[in-house]
Amino acid sequence: MPTLNPTVVPAALRFLRLLLCPRPGLTPRFITFALLAGGARLGAVEAADLEFFEKKIRPLLAERCYECHSAEYKTKAGLRLDGTEGWIKGGESGPAVVPGNVDQSALIKAVRYTGLEFEPMPPKSALSREEVALLEEWVKRGAPGPAGVAVADKPRTGGMTIAEGRKFWSFVPPAAPVVPAVHDAAWARTPIDRFLAAKWEEKSLRPAADADRPALFRRLAFDLTGLPPTPEALAAFVADARPDARERAIDALLASPQFGERWGRHWLDVARFAESSGGGRTLLFKDAWRYRDYVIDAFNRDLPFDRFIREQLAGDLLPYTTPAERRRQVIATAFLALGPTNYEEQNKGALRMDVIDEQIDTLGKAFLGLTLGCARCHDHKFDPVPTQDYYALAGILRSTHTLHNYTDNVAKWVDAALPLDGAAAQELAAHEAKVADLERRIAKLRASTKAAAAPAKSTSLKELPGIVVDDPQAKVVGRWKSSQTTPGYFGEGYLSDDNADKGAKTVTFTPAIAQAGRYEVRLAFPALANRATNVPVTVFHADGEQVITVNQREVPPIGGRFLSLGVFRFEKDGQGYVLVSNEGTDGFVVVDALQLLPADERKDAAAAPAPADRKDRQLLAELRKLEADLKKLNAAGPQRLQAMSVREAVGEIGDTEIRIRGVTRNLGPKVPRGFLQVAAYGPTPAFSSTESGRRELADWIAHPANPLTARVLVNRVWAWLMGAGLVRSVDNLGTTGDRPTHPELLDHLARQFVADGWSIKQLVREIVRSRAYGLATAGSPEAARLDPDNLLLSHAPRRRLEAEQIRDAILWVSGRLDGTVGGPNITGAGAANASEYGYVFTDTRRSVYTPAFRNRRLELFEVFDFADINAPVGQRAISTVAPQALFLMNHPFVMEQARFAAERLLAVPLADDAARVAHAYRASLGRPPSGAELALATTFLQTAGGTDAAVGVRLEAWTALQQALFSCVDFRYLN
Amino acid sequence: MHSAPFLSRRQALQQLACGFGYLAFAGVAAQAAARANANPLAPRPGHFPARAKRVIFLFMGGGVSHLDSFDYKPALYTHDGKMMDFLDQRAIAKTGAGASGRVMKPLWDFKQRGQSGRWVSELFPHLAKHADDYCVVRSMHTEGVAHGPATLFLHTGTTNFIRPSMGAWVTYGLGTGNENLPAFVSLSPTLANGGPRNYGNAFLPSVHQGTAIGRAGQKAAEAGMRNVRNLQRTAEQQQRYFDLVRGLNTEQLRAKPGDQELEAVADSFELAWRLQNHAPDAMDISKESKATQALYGIGEEHTDDYGRQCLMARRLAEAGVRFIQVNYSDNSNNPAWDQHSNMPKHKDHAVRVDKPVAGLLADLKARGLLDDTIVWFGSEFGRTPYAEKNGTGRDHNPTGFSVLLAGGGFKRGFAYGETDEFGHFAVANKVHMHDLHATILHQLGLDHERLTYRHDGRDYRLTDVHGHVVRELFA
Repeated sequence: MPTLNPTVVPAALRFLRLLLCPRPGLTPRFITFALLAGGARLGAVEAADLEFFEKKIRPLLAERCYECHSAEYKTKAGLRLDGTEGWIKGGESGPAVVPGNVDQSALIKAVRYTGLEFEPMPPKSALSREEVALLEEWVKRGAPGPAGVAVADKPRTGGMTIAEGRKFWSFVPPAAPVVPAVHDAAWARTPIDRFLAAKWEEKSLRPAADADRPALFRRLAFDLTGLPPTPEALAAFVADARPDARERAIDALLASPQFGERWGRHWLDVARFAESSGGGRTLLFKDAWRYRDYVIDAFNRDLPFDRFIREQLAGDLLPYTTPAERRRQVIATAFLALGPTNYEEQNKGALRMDVIDEQIDTLGKAFLGLTLGCARCHDHKFDPVPTQDYYALAGILRSTHTLHNYTDNVAKWVDAALPLDGAAAQELAAHEAKVADLERRIAKLRASTKAAAAPAKSTSLKELPGIVVDDPQAKVVGRWKSSQTTPGYFGEGYLSDDNADKGAKTVTFTPAIAQAGRYEVRLAFPALANRATNVPVTVFHADGEQVITVNQREVPPIGGRFLSLGVFRFEKDGQGYVLVSNEGTDGFVVVDALQLLPADERKDAAAAPAPADRKDRQLLAELRKLEADLKKLNAAGPQRLQAMSVREAVGEIGDTEIRIRGVTRNLGPKVPRGFLQVAAYGPTPAFSSTESGRRELADWIAHPANPLTARVLVNRVWAWLMGAGLVRSVDNLGTTGDRPTHPELLDHLARQFVADGWSIKQLVREIVRSRAYGLATAGSPEAARLDPDNLLLSHAPRRRLEAEQIRDAILWVSGRLDGTVGGPNITGAGAANASEYGYVFTDTRRSVYTPAFRNRRLELFEVFDFADINAPVGQRAISTVAPQALFLMNHPFVMEQARFAAERLLAVPLADDAARVAHAYRASLGRPPSGAELALATTFLQTAGGTDAAVGVRLEAWTALQQALFSCVDFRYLN
Repeated sequence: MHSAPFLSRRQALQQLACGFGYLAFAGVAAQAAARANANPLAPRPGHFPARAKRVIFLFMGGGVSHLDSFDYKPALYTHDGKMMDFLDQRAIAKTGAGASGRVMKPLWDFKQRGQSGRWVSELFPHLAKHADDYCVVRSMHTEGVAHGPATLFLHTGTTNFIRPSMGAWVTYGLGTGNENLPAFVSLSPTLANGGPRNYGNAFLPSVHQGTAIGRAGQKAAEAGMRNVRNLQRTAEQQQRYFDLVRGLNTEQLRAKPGDQELEAVADSFELAWRLQNHAPDAMDISKESKATQALYGIGEEHTDDYGRQCLMARRLAEAGVRFIQVNYSDNSNNPAWDQHSNMPKHKDHAVRVDKPVAGLLADLKARGLLDDTIVWFGSEFGRTPYAEKNGTGRDHNPTGFSVLLAGGGFKRGFAYGETDEFGHFAVANKVHMHDLHATILHQLGLDHERLTYRHDGRDYRLTDVHGHVVRELFA
C-alpha cells in the first residue's frame, strides 16, 4: 500500500479514512490494483502530475464517483472514471474530459452543479468548491493519470437483435393458412367457424348453443350502430324466417349512418382523439371536430384502410382533384396534431422532441401495435427496436412542423386553411376583397378624423397607443363567455363571466413590456346597469401588488372606454400582470382590454377624443356607417375554414441526430430517415431533401407486405366484436404482448382483409355472420373446466356496454336522443378564450359528439370507463365500481331521462300495466320480462303508487321503475 | 413476501401477460370468485411491516418559500440587496444560461424553536410551536420549472406522461381500511395545473382513482361527494327503488348462475348503498366538539375554510381512508403561494393554513393517530433567493426547497439535507421528489421498486427507474 501524506488536502484525508474504514462495497483491494496498474505507466507522464493525480484526484474520484462509474461497481451512462481511457473515451454523452480544456470537459460541467447540460454530479451531494477547483486544475494540467484500465465494449443494452426479431411471430409475414377441415362441417357457417371449431375438436370441446334471436339482434344493433334495436326492427327480425335474414339485417345496419358513429368512435380511441390539450394549461382544439367527422365519414363510406392510414399521416402531401378531397386529406392529418401536448413547456427544444415522441408512440401503437416510445432513450429493452430506428422515424417527424412556432411562451398547433369549392372559393375571394377595401377606406377616414377612440361599436386595437392586450390574448380560468352585446369594445368583443361561478373565474393580462419603467395601467370594459360594482382587479407590478375595486356600472371616464388603475413600475419582461377576478362580485363581470401607457408620454397619447368640430362630425358619421357595413359584411360573408394539421418544415428537412439517453441537447450521430429495420420488407426508399418523408412512412405502414399493419387492425376489429383479441394485448403485438390464440385465423383474416381491398365493412360482415359470433353467452361446465378464460371462444363473452352506449341507450329510451350527424358541438368554442373549465354539458346528441376534453369529462364517461383520452386505446378497460351504481341511483341526468321515458311510456295506449311493463322491458332490454320480473314490477307499482289516480304520483312510480331498468344488470350487458 | 393477495394479482398478470383491460376484468371476476382476497380495495399488507397506515398530504399549491419559513440562510441577510448572478432555472430552460437577480432577505424573522432548536420563521407561528413534532427535509429538488409540469411531477412522478397519481399507487398497494368510503380522497382539488390527473389512476384499475370532494374555489362547508345523496326522492321512495333494483338484479343473476362479473355489479349496488348511508356522516364535522373545531380555527374568518378541510381529513383518516390530500390552492395558473411579486402576501396564505395544520398535528397526536399517519406538508417547488429582476417577489425554484414530514415513523425535531449558502440549490444529502415518493411508500410498507403495474408490455412504477429511500429520516 502506498503511503499518503496526511497533511495535504481534505480529499486525501477522506481517502485515508476510506482506506482505513472502507465503505461497504468500496474495497481497498481494487484501489491497490489500480495504483499498481498506474505505476506501470510512470514513464508516460510527468511524475509530479501523476503524484498530483494519485494524491488528490484519484481519492476524490474513488470516494465520490466510483460507486457509479468504475469497473468494480457500475458504469452508469457507459462512463468509467477509473482510468485514462475511461474518461477520454467517455460514456454515452461523449468524452468526460478534454485534457487541458476545463470548459469543454463534461466532467467539470457536471460537477459544477449547474444542471445546464448535464445532470448535476454526484447526484446525492455536490462536491465542495475546493474539490471542484482540484478537478479543474487536474483537467488544466492535461488530466494526467494511469492507463491500464481497458474500457470494455459497450455492453448490449437492448433486447432482441434485429435478426432474432425477424423470427418473432408478428414480424414474420402472414402465412396463407388452409381453412381447416372439421368433423362437424354442417355446424360451421364461415371459414372463421372452421378455424375455431378445429381447436375445439383438439380439446374435445363443444360450442355453446346459438343465442336466441332477440339477444342476437340486440348484440348486432349495439355492435354495429352503438344503439339498441327499435322494438319494431327487433320484432321484424325475430319474425323473419328467410335463410338469409341475418345477412339482410347485417347489411342494413352496416349501411346506416350510425355505423360510422359507432365505428368511428373505436378509431377515435385509437387516435387518442380529444378536443383540448389537457395537462397544465389546457387549450381548446376548436377544429378537432372536423377530424372526428372525417373519421365517422371514412367508416361510413368504407374508405379502404390503407388509404385511411395514408391520409392521416400524409394527407397534406397527397395529390387531389377537388377541393373537397383536399379538405378531407388535410383534416385527416389532425391525427398527428391532437395529442396531449404541454404547450407551455419552457424548454422549447424538449417540447419539440416531446411532440415527436408522442407522435411516434401514437403511430407505433395505432398502426403497428408496438411501444416505440421506449427507444427514445435506449435500445428497446424487449423488442427489436434500436434507438437508431426511433431517430430514423424522428427524422421524418422532425422534418414536419406540428407546432406553429417553436419559440412561443405558450406554443400553438398549426391551423391550416381549407380550400373551398369553386363557387364558394370565388365568393370568399370576392368577400375578402370587399372587406379589404372597406378596411382601407375606414383607416383613411380615421386618420383624417382623429376619431379613433370615439365610441364606435368596435375599435381596432392598432389605433391605440402604448402596450395593448385584448381579451383573446389574456389567460382565462373558468368559463368566460365571449360577447359583442354592448357596443364600444376593442377587437372582436369582450368577455363576460355570465354572472356565474363566483370565485372560480379569472382573466389575466400579461403585457409584454419591452422597456422597464413606469406605466399607467388602464382597463377597458363596456359599462352597463347589470354589471358588478365590486370587481377586484389586482395589478402585480415590480414593487408589489395592488387590488383596485372597480365599479362596472359606471361608464369609464377616459373616452367612455378606459378606467385608469394607477401608475405602476414594471420591469422589462418581468412577471408583471393584471388579474381580474369575479370573486364575491354582485353582477356581471366584463373584461375587454388592457392598456399600458408609458407614464412620461401620457400627454402625447391623450386617449380621450378631442371634441369634434362640424366637419369632423360629418366624417365621423360616415366612418360609423362604414364600420357598421364592415361588421355586417363580416357577419354575413363566408368564413375561411381551418383545420388542425401539420406542415412540412421547409428549410429544416433532413435526417436528425440520436438524442443520447433522450436528452434533447445531448446530440449523438445523425441517422438517416427510415423505418423499423425488423419490419423492413424491401429497400428503404430514398428520402427527398424537400419532403419530410411522411408519404414514404405512410406507404411503408399501409403496404400489404408490412407484417404488422393488417394483423393489428383485424385483431382490433375482432376484439371490438368478440370481446377480446386473438392477440389479447391488442395494442402490443411485440415480444411483451400476448401470443395469438389462433395464429392461423389471424393470418387468414389479415390476408383476406388486404385481398378485400382493406375494407372494414367486409371484415366486420365476415365476423358477425359467423356462427361463432352468434353463440349464447352461457358456456358449458366442461368449457369452464377445460378453457376457463374462454380463449377458444366456445361461447360468446358477456360484454358490458361502453359508456357511450349506456348514455345513448338511455337517451334513446327516453326519446331525447338528438340524431344530428356531424358538426361542431362545443358551445362557444369559436371564442378565443373558450375553455373546458366550468363547461356545462347540455346537449343530448350521440355521445361520439360529446365534447372530448382532456381535463374534464362528462361524469357518466368518467364513471363508466371512457378511454384514456391521452394515449391510444385499442380496447377499453371495464371496471365495476360503486360510483357507477351511485351514478345510476342518484345522478340528475339518469333521473331526468327516466322521467322522460316514463312520460313517454304512459302516453302509449296499452291495455293494462302488465302490457306497459312489457313495453318498457322491450324498449330498455330488448326482451319481454320474465314472470318473476313482471311480478316484482307489479308489486312495486302497487306500493309505490304506480296505479294511483293522481298523475304526479303515478309518474313518480313509473319513473322509479324505468330508472331501475336503467340500473339493472341486463341493461348494461349484451347477452 | 407475505402479501399473498398482492402477489397473486401480480402472478396472474404475469402468467397471462395481458393488458389493462383484461386486468380490470380479472379484478372483478376474481372478486366474486374469492371475495375475501380478490377485492382490489381489500386491505392487504405491503412488502414489509409498515410504520404508517395512511397519508395526509397538505398540498400548498404555487410554491411556499422555504427561505422565508424553514430553511434559515444567514447569507441572505448579509448579501441583501446585492445584484448577483444566479443560475435561474426559468432562464436556463429558455435560453440555456442563467440570469442576475437581487438577493432578497427573508421577510419573517427566524428563531430556534422547541427542544430541538430547529429554525422556523414567524411566517408560521403555530407550526413553529410544533417544531419538535416533524422533520424538515431542506434538500428537496424536483423537475418542472412551471406550475403545470412541477405539480404533475409532484403527484405522478412525471412532468408530461400519463401516469397514476401517488394516492392511486398507494391504494393499489394497500387497499383501503374502510370499504364504505372511498380509499383515496382529494379535498378541494384545483382544476388547473393538471387538474384531475393529479388524483387520477391513469392505467391502474379505476377503483384507484381519487375521489374529489369539493373543488378549489368552493367553500369547504359546501363540499361533498358526488351522487351520494338523492335530492329528489324521500328516503322511503329511495328505499323502494333500491329494493326493486336489488330484486331485478337477483332475478337476472338467477338466469345466469355463477357469472362472477354480474355478481360484482350486484355487489357494487350494495356498496353504493352503504356509501350513501355512511359517507355523508364521515364528512360531517358538526359532530366534533366546539373545542376540537376551535383547535383547527373553524369559525374564525381566515382559518375556517382550511380548518374544515383539515378536520374532515382527520375524520376520514380515523375512518380508514388510505390517502387524503388536503389542497390549499385555487384554479388559476398562478396558484395561491405563487408570489412573483409582493412576497408579503405569503403571510395572507400562511394565516389561512398555519393554525389548521398545527391543529391537525395536535389533534392527531392527542388521539394517538399521529404514530401511524404520515402528515406531509409541501409544495411543487420552492422559491428563489433573489427577487425577480428588481421586483418584490421570488420566482419558482425546483432546485432546492423544503417539505415537512410528521408522524408515521419519521424522526421528530430533525432537519435533513442542506441547500447552498443562498438556499438556491440542494447540495448536501439531496432528496429528489422521486426519493420522497420512495421514502413515503417505504413507511407504508411498500417497496417502490416492487410496487409495479404491467401496462403496455412493461412494468411501471411511481418512481420510474429512480428513487432512493432516505432511511436517515426514519425514527
